[in-house]
Amino acid sequence: MEKILITLNINDKPCEVMVYPNDTLLEVLRDELDLTGSKESCGEGVCGSCTIHMDDKPVRSCLTLAMEATGTKIKTVEGLAKGDELSSLQQSFVDHGAVQCGFCTPGMLMSADALLKINSKPDEKTVRKAIAGNICRCTGYTKIVKAVAHAGNSQDHCPDCITFSKAKE
Amino acid sequence: MRLPRFEYIEPINFEGALDLLYIHKDNAKVLAGGTDLLVRMKKGLLKPKIIISLKALKELSYIKKDDSYIKIGARTSIADIIASDLIKKEACALFEACEKIGAVTIQHYRGTIGGNILQDNRCIHYNQSAFHRSGRQPCHKDGGKICYARDASDRCNSTCQSDGATALMALGANITLVRKGTERIIDLDNFYTTDGIMPFAMESNELLKEIVIPIQGGKSSYKRLAYRSAIDYPIVSAGVFLKSSDTSKNEIEDARIVVGAIARAPIFLAKASSFLKGKKFNDISAFKKAADISMDNASTFAVHNVGSTLEYRCAMVSEMVFQALKEAAIVTQE
Ligand SMILES: Cc1cc2nc3c(=O)[nH]c(=O)nc-3n(C[C@H](O)[C@H](O)[C@H](O)COP(=O)(O)OP(=O)(O)OC[C@H]3O[C@@H](n4cnc5c(N)ncnc54)[C@H](O)[C@@H]3O)c2cc1C
Ligand code: SF4
Ligand code: FES
Ligand code: FES
Repeated sequence: MEKILITLNINDKPCEVMVYPNDTLLEVLRDELDLTGSKESCGEGVCGSCTIHMDDKPVRSCLTLAMEATGTKIKTVEGLAKGDELSSLQQSFVDHGAVQCGFCTPGMLMSADALLKINSKPDEKTVRKAIAGNICRCTGYTKIVKAVAHAGNSQDHCPDCITFSKAKE
Repeated sequence: MRLPRFEYIEPINFEGALDLLYIHKDNAKVLAGGTDLLVRMKKGLLKPKIIISLKALKELSYIKKDDSYIKIGARTSIADIIASDLIKKEACALFEACEKIGAVTIQHYRGTIGGNILQDNRCIHYNQSAFHRSGRQPCHKDGGKICYARDASDRCNSTCQSDGATALMALGANITLVRKGTERIIDLDNFYTTDGIMPFAMESNELLKEIVIPIQGGKSSYKRLAYRSAIDYPIVSAGVFLKSSDTSKNEIEDARIVVGAIARAPIFLAKASSFLKGKKFNDISAFKKAADISMDNASTFAVHNVGSTLEYRCAMVSEMVFQALKEAAIVTQE
């Protein structure tokens, strides 16, 4: 079986890469392009740690062939921050203590980011539904849900939002 | 988990895909969203030499109204179905079923309705890693001669856990299958074979083109039970369709009750369905009775192979059917 040259548009940059037909997008991102933010946990579509965006929609990169991703706009967790500046969603995860071991975090961020693009002020139920396909074994989800709901949408009643906005002043 | 090796082909149109299937037949598998196929391939449950991708076949993604039918292209995504006002209004059971499939990030954008109804039957003894399965004799579905789910069974009893299939069968849908040179239409009642190894009456050179739902003016509903509200497959489900008579709005003229995730195919329950004919829409005790008949009839097909206990799943058949009937009746009365 021969490797094939394909072009992928990742985080607004075209990347030429040689792939096998049976390479998943996740394998190509991590092993060929050194974009190791996306994680493999289950490899079978259950956990969500490999979630990336294809044309702004959150999908499982472990169940997507690299060949199937050509011609689409791919965004990975590495594409969220602008240089050294975290996106408001990422900052909110830090402020609210939504990261423990961090293994689920890239996938959580990508599912949440896709939601915030279509609904910038989601209520708790909407957030829970959007991240229902992402499993976290550490946090118990409460802080993640808060972090998403309060991202770029600071709440007066939330101690974490207040502490950190004060600290920044 | 690595995928086994294969050759990947991306036909540029429908005819091209049919030609490829005509040439490669059993050696090829069609790839739509891949959320069922690639998982099975990763587990070594099948190793097609050739993958024919539907990626370029945009012409197979549509939802349209044609006279008194809704036509859905096989490659239409689950997300598009959920977003369709037409489906919500005229085929609510399908909307409710699609909403519950897996989780937003797994199926809704990549997964397709065609792939949903053509996903292989499942069983906790079979849908396991190659390593897990290597520790024991292969079962019927794996090419062996025993069944772990039912003692001394001479056949495979794997379960159809497709949410879409159960809802579509309740809606009386049929599908269009095309192979090079010919096209045929088959209703879902006859499409499912009840053979756990070959669940569909479909040839390897055929492509699913379209799903057709008749608009019959009735109301439908779908209910399912799963361990978690997202990610997990159903362990029992029910799709129902109720239509009032032209003369009396409060009288049931036609009913279809279908139970899913309990047997080798979704099962249409003729006795329970016909019991409801002539009954009133506000006759809750008739719904309860129909639900109990459903449970009795469906239980004879039930096999313990998708988790939870058999007793619990059978008991829940009645509950799912009852809830679905109640919901369909309420919408009808509105
Ligand atoms: C974690 C997880 C949870 C899931 N939960 C559910 C659930 O709750 N309910 C549920 O119903 N499903 C569930 N699924 C299964 C699956 O994701 C969905 O059924 C999905 O809709 C399948 O669509 P697909 O396009 O990805 O199918 P694919 O994997 O691309 O295809 C499935 C099968 O259909 C064949 N096929 C597809 N399109 C055609 C065509 N046009 N012509 C001929 N053959 C075709 C393929 O060859 C393959 O054999 C789950 C999957 C995962 C990984
Ligand atoms: S029902 Fe029996 S034969 Fe079929 S997959 Fe399960 S264990 Fe194997
Ligand atoms: S690694 Fe892709 S869903 Fe778990
Ligand atoms: S932070 Fe550890 S899995 Fe979510």
